[in-house]
Amino acid sequence: MSRFVVLPTSRAGWGLLIAFVAVIAAGIWPVIGWVNRAVLVLGLPLLVVWSYVVIFACFAVMLIANHVLDRQEGKHD
Amino acid sequence: MTSPWPLLITLAYVAIAMVIGLRARGGRRMNSLEEWGVAGRSMGPVTLYLLIAAGSVSAYTFMGAPGWAYAKGVPVFYVAVYLAYLALVAWYVGPKVWQFGERFGHVTQASAIADRYQSPLLGALASLVMSIGSIAYAVLQTIGSAYILNVMSGGAIPVWLGVPLVLACIAVYLFVSGQRAIGRTNAFQGVLMLVVAWAVGLWALHGATGGLDVGTLFARLQAEHGEFLTLPGAGGDMSFSFWTTSVIVSMFSFMPPVWTQWMSASSARTIRRSATWLPTYYVVILPMVVVGFIGIFALPDLARTDTVVLEYAMQFLPVWLVGLLGAGTLAASMSSSEPFIHSVALSWSKDVVQPLLGLSEARTGKLARWMILPLMALVIAPLAIAEPGSLVMILLVGLGFATQVLPAFIGMFLWPRASRLGVMAGIVSGFLVTVAFTTVWKHPLGIHAGFWGLMLNLPVFVAVSLATRPAPHEVVERFFRIAAPHGLTRLGGAEKGRAVEASVLGRE
Repeated sequence: MSRFVVLPTSRAGWGLLIAFVAVIAAGIWPVIGWVNRAVLVLGLPLLVVWSYVVIFACFAVMLIANHVLDRQEGKHD
Repeated sequence: MTSPWPLLITLAYVAIAMVIGLRARGGRRMNSLEEWGVAGRSMGPVTLYLLIAAGSVSAYTFMGAPGWAYAKGVPVFYVAVYLAYLALVAWYVGPKVWQFGERFGHVTQASAIADRYQSPLLGALASLVMSIGSIAYAVLQTIGSAYILNVMSGGAIPVWLGVPLVLACIAVYLFVSGQRAIGRTNAFQGVLMLVVAWAVGLWALHGATGGLDVGTLFARLQAEHGEFLTLPGAGGDMSFSFWTTSVIVSMFSFMPPVWTQWMSASSARTIRRSATWLPTYYVVILPMVVVGFIGIFALPDLARTDTVVLEYAMQFLPVWLVGLLGAGTLAASMSSSEPFIHSVALSWSKDVVQPLLGLSEARTGKLARWMILPLMALVIAPLAIAEPGSLVMILLVGLGFATQVLPAFIGMFLWPRASRLGVMAGIVSGFLVTVAFTTVWKHPLGIHAGFWGLMLNLPVFVAVSLATRPAPHEVVERFFRIAAPHGLTRLGGAEKGRAVEASVLGRE
């Protein structure tokens, strides 16, 4: 039992896991280092814009994940 | 401040919140843990969205975050990022927690831990230690509430009077309507905070720049104080490593009230819908932080940075907007303190007193309601009035502990082999490291103390779990039928799916 863990069991599940990890990676080092420049985008500091890109990417990923789950649940029904 | 309007508007908010909180009961009997504790598991997606959102946006958003922008600059946005990541965690974990609660009757986080590891002792320990951070958090929010009343009344309501006033208001509707009051009042407070934040932010921006072009403000900041626009910020203390580890530690802080909020949902699907939309609420932070940036030029010599928005409002904004700001800030602090007070009372009754005295569910339900009164009167009010200097330190240690409970949740959602002793060993070792690196040697190498704690905690948890007996098969099976409905995967092996689930949960 020691080697058994919970992991995705379908390609869609793996896709979602990769998307979740990607948005988390987007908000921490090293990615955050690449956007750490004193320039303005849309009148706001780049780091502020990037933070909100990450925040809305989280929203988008969960929205997609809901559709995937709904489709999978439809198949199981 | 001589105008009575700011205080009247703030008190009008309190009156509305009380009416909403009292009416939330709707004629239901509130003496059961299911009703008073988790609102009969009835909350819809919109209420749950605003409940969690308003609960996570504390007075910090109206005071601390603008203060950080004023003193340090863009490093403050790590908060917005980790709040969005908490929504990801809620999306994945929340529905499973709801199913555990619905099928096994859990109403608190500690009762789920006690059940998973078949250890009332572990549940009681988790309850007591998690309550350290929860109480410190509730006390800080209560101090913030009393401070707002003091400012809005022009000093007529001193902090020692503001504290019992605010707590009495919360106590009345919390006692009467329980989690339903928190849900309804947080929904109202969540909308109010969003409206107030944007109204204050846009008004301040127009006043400071003559228009609504935020670029004018930041172009000046770029030219005169460029250090505010990048890490490590003007304070020089938010390195990449501290940003990263703070985000990671914060996103794995499973605070007990959030757990109770998930269990209050009407369905697992409801939690997913709410969590999905949760990041959109964090646009509430942006306008308040902009006011903090405006303060760099408008109020260059502030002694207390977390008063930047209030000071700016009192000097430059109309009185009605100052009143709305007072109401919004009070809403933020009340909406955050209520869930923590409720969750501590619920957990002390359910996870500590009930197993200790062998109380029935009915008596425990009654006890939880009454527990808020001594909790407020004997613990939170004296601490809030005394304002001990070590309170922030207690909060930091408490929050550090919240992250160190991670092994308990790994064993609940990801790894069936986790054992009771493994969880305890991981928590204790991680907690000791976190305490040492928070109080004695602060955040070595610019890495968050809680992250150092996890680096010891997780290997110890795995090693001790492998060396000790896991929970009984039937317990592991019922948890993982929910946590892994499509089966478990064998690391390094080809087996997966239902067959594996059967072999793991049925035969081993």
